Amino acid sequence: MLRFSFFKEVPLKILWSILFLSFLGLIVLKSISKHHQGYFLETPFTKQLIFLIPAISIMIMILFIPRYTIHKFAYPFYVLGIVSVILPFLGSPHSGTYRWLDLGLPFAIQTSEFAKVFTILALARYLSDHTLQMKQFASIIVPLVLVLIPTTLVMNQPDLGTSIVMMSPILPMLYWAGSRPFYLFLIIAPFLSMLTAFHTLSFTIWAISLGVIIILSRSTLIMAVSLFFGNVFLGLLSPYVWNTLTPYQQNRILTFLNPEKDPLGAAYQIIQSKTAIGSGGLFGKGWGEGTQTHLKFLPVQESDFILSVIGEEMGFVTIAITLLVISYFITQIVKYSYLSKDRFSSLALIGIATIFLAHVFVNTAMTVGLIPVKGLPFPFISAGGSFLITSYIMVGLVLKLSVNYTD
Amino acid sequence: MLKADNIASPQQYYISLFLLWTLIALLLLRYFQLQILNFDQYSEKANTNRIRKVTMSAPRGLILDRNGNILVDNLPTYILNAIPGELSNKNHTFQFISKNIGIDSLLVSKNFKKYYRGRFISTRLAKDLSFDQISRLEENRLDIKGVYYQKFPERSFPSKINASHILGYVKEVDKGIRNTLIDPNNYELGDIIGWSGLERMYEKSLKGKHGIQFYQVDAYGREVGFIDDFPPRDPEPGKNIVTTIDADVQKTLEEVMKDKRGVIIVGIPETGEILGAVSMPDFRPDLFTGRILEKDWISILNHPDKPLVNRFNQGLYPPGSIVKMITQSVLLDNIDFDPDAKQKCEGSYQFGDRVFGCWNINGHGSVDLTNAILLSCDIFFYKTIKYYDFDTLARFFSLFGFGEITGIDILGESRGIVPTTEYMNNRYGRFGWSKGSLLNYCIGQGEVLVTPMQVFNYTNLLATQGKTQNPHFVQNDEKLNKHIIELPKKTWDRILYDMEQVIINKNGTGKAANLLLTDVQTFGKTGTAENPHGNDHAWFIGWAKYFDKNFSIVILLENSGSGGSIAAPIAKEVLLGLIHKNRPL
Repeated sequence: MLRFSFFKEVPLKILWSILFLSFLGLIVLKSISKHHQGYFLETPFTKQLIFLIPAISIMIMILFIPRYTIHKFAYPFYVLGIVSVILPFLGSPHSGTYRWLDLGLPFAIQTSEFAKVFTILALARYLSDHTLQMKQFASIIVPLVLVLIPTTLVMNQPDLGTSIVMMSPILPMLYWAGSRPFYLFLIIAPFLSMLTAFHTLSFTIWAISLGVIIILSRSTLIMAVSLFFGNVFLGLLSPYVWNTLTPYQQNRILTFLNPEKDPLGAAYQIIQSKTAIGSGGLFGKGWGEGTQTHLKFLPVQESDFILSVIGEEMGFVTIAITLLVISYFITQIVKYSYLSKDRFSSLALIGIATIFLAHVFVNTAMTVGLIPVKGLPFPFISAGGSFLITSYIMVGLVLKLSVNYTD
Repeated sequence: MLKADNIASPQQYYISLFLLWTLIALLLLRYFQLQILNFDQYSEKANTNRIRKVTMSAPRGLILDRNGNILVDNLPTYILNAIPGELSNKNHTFQFISKNIGIDSLLVSKNFKKYYRGRFISTRLAKDLSFDQISRLEENRLDIKGVYYQKFPERSFPSKINASHILGYVKEVDKGIRNTLIDPNNYELGDIIGWSGLERMYEKSLKGKHGIQFYQVDAYGREVGFIDDFPPRDPEPGKNIVTTIDADVQKTLEEVMKDKRGVIIVGIPETGEILGAVSMPDFRPDLFTGRILEKDWISILNHPDKPLVNRFNQGLYPPGSIVKMITQSVLLDNIDFDPDAKQKCEGSYQFGDRVFGCWNINGHGSVDLTNAILLSCDIFFYKTIKYYDFDTLARFFSLFGFGEITGIDILGESRGIVPTTEYMNNRYGRFGWSKGSLLNYCIGQGEVLVTPMQVFNYTNLLATQGKTQNPHFVQNDEKLNKHIIELPKKTWDRILYDMEQVIINKNGTGKAANLLLTDVQTFGKTGTAENPHGNDHAWFIGWAKYFDKNFSIVILLENSGSGGSIAAPIAKEVLLGLIHKNRPL
């Protein structure tokens, strides 16, 4: 049973930041919808406004779910999440991808968004239930598998952006659960070995750093030698494997990793986005005055590139405020995670913080051409029903789990 | 099961926050770079992104004759453009167009390739379409999405004359031409530019100024309206130019020169105005507008008589006897020369080891200077070369404008050759030529070469006693230079007397040009110029004086025989026509 004191302890101050971001999102969507042709209810603004109702309702509902229930159903929900990302493969593809689940509703659901949250909860439960010897390398294998199952499925939808976000909490959560940073480093090491192998100087520097880190870790001789040479051989092997692929296969992989290789597609989007942002200046061109936005030069402006619209119409000032507000919000989540008394809540919170940060970083960095285009929305601002509801579910979880009490 | 305690340490907490804020700081810095540091660059980019500049061709200025008749006009034609990015099915659209306006669909796709510059840039499909053809397309507007038409003023020639070498022609500016222009920014691809004749000379006035309209376009290249900060600029039509040509005179000249090869120029000596000028063979002036068949074009290009060459400007001919008045003035300039002295002409003259003949191999008997002119006796001049030297003669040739361009307002004029001792030394070596060359020189043969336009200027100088203006086709006071020669009145009087004798004396070589009108005085000189490339060229120069009006004329007929028998009758016909035209009814 919930005590009244619970509601007094809910950190409502973080609500101000998400309300600000949601409101800003609506303002921007209103501007975009200005020249939207079609039915009033179909404008991005109206849709977002309508989706806020279930989103906020679910957030409030979560406050009434006992913490142990959340903990108890973490695994079943995890399985439900996996099923939900498999289901779209059974239907017909939406514009060539299997991201959307059509339940006969007026809108399709992007199930991978919900699966993200369920994966975090399952991971948090696993890492908190087992009094694991986190100092041992073998302990990180099960968590890795837990994450890789839904991630691989989503990657095949294909949705590289979401799968990256889904994978991102694993490292902070393991770190938070007490894994040796050296083991976390070992997870990343093979990827770095493969990537640097295509550039002699990078590979040399990488091999030296690898050796130094292994020596500093004070591993056994056999362990150290096998780790070092395992990685080096993997690195040396990968260009060979790469060359056995046909140019067509190579291209598929390159385009998948870096869509900017396709000049008429992603590269065009990046150029238009940078132009929109750069031409906004300090204070922007004014609400509804963004030429790049309203003349449709800016692609997917209501979701992936909504920050570019803010940059163009409201300038650097608003961008800075937006980024500072969302960082404050994430900082608060990290703080509650640190202050949390039980390990499950703490891990769930750090996972949620990572998800938000991954969205913010990937989306923002993409709009300014720092990383290749990945279709990822900006939390609370971008239009998109599934992600909006997921974000508010996560806010609900943050509000719920950040209150320390025993029940 | 929720009993596991949180084990996160302060160290983990601070490292996490540090990583979080580092990433955010990186993003903020990047935004700062784009929005504050590179603001100008992206601002400009945003503007060029959304503004489409559409140029509207300005109608070229008209070319009028002296009486206001239009010689060169603009025909309102239409061009058909496509925005490549808006074409749904290219081949289908092209076939539809060709079916409806009756042109080859291959030509349409060929044009499309030729003019293609980008997905959202207007690309020309066809030109010279009539209003009729456009209306047929307009009825099927929906089937040709992405295809637009535009008015395009094309050159047309409503008058009955060709005047091809005077008016010149225009060309369509392509990438190659545009690169060679001094002011490429004033020209768009597909514009027309004056390429020869008056069209080229007066390009600056005729051209006018492009109109420009700025449309706001969206990312799909669709025009969504005008832009307030960039007001449209209306096209400024080119200025008309009024020529000195009289269309009727020009028409007559073209008729008398029909099927001949040569030049005829008629003008007003006092002002240098040209009433008509023909270089035969000529060509249809619309040859270059693209409405002519390719085979006609090839036949003109490969014609052995080279119709494209402007003979009155660029043709170099030996002048023959028509320059004897220059030799005459050199003689009269020498006080030792007796103007009434007689020389005996036996039909040939031995000079050194060479024999120089008179054109009349039987000889003219005893001739004085006047007879030497009117009979065009060569021996008289051979026998008087002791009164001057090579360079003095060259100086007088230069005085009368030979060896220099006349400044006619059509580009590409030749200078001709007025040999001097220096020239002869350079060409043949100091000892490679002899004084015998002077014998050729004094009767207008040998190395001396002239253009018909120089001869026209020379004729004007004779008719005005050394007070004319440069020959010209367009009235333009600023550019006119007076051409003045100071010679004693006695000399001028003698020249005029002798040149009238050429016409009215019963033995005069130019008597076929006698108008036989009591109120008209006619002056002239014939020439029969030998040349190494075939039969003699026939020359006639002269003028008719009708009260205070003078009409000068130059006729050159290539390889057609003697000036007196071939050219003089034509001069008569033309001059008579001019007098009738000016005679009060």
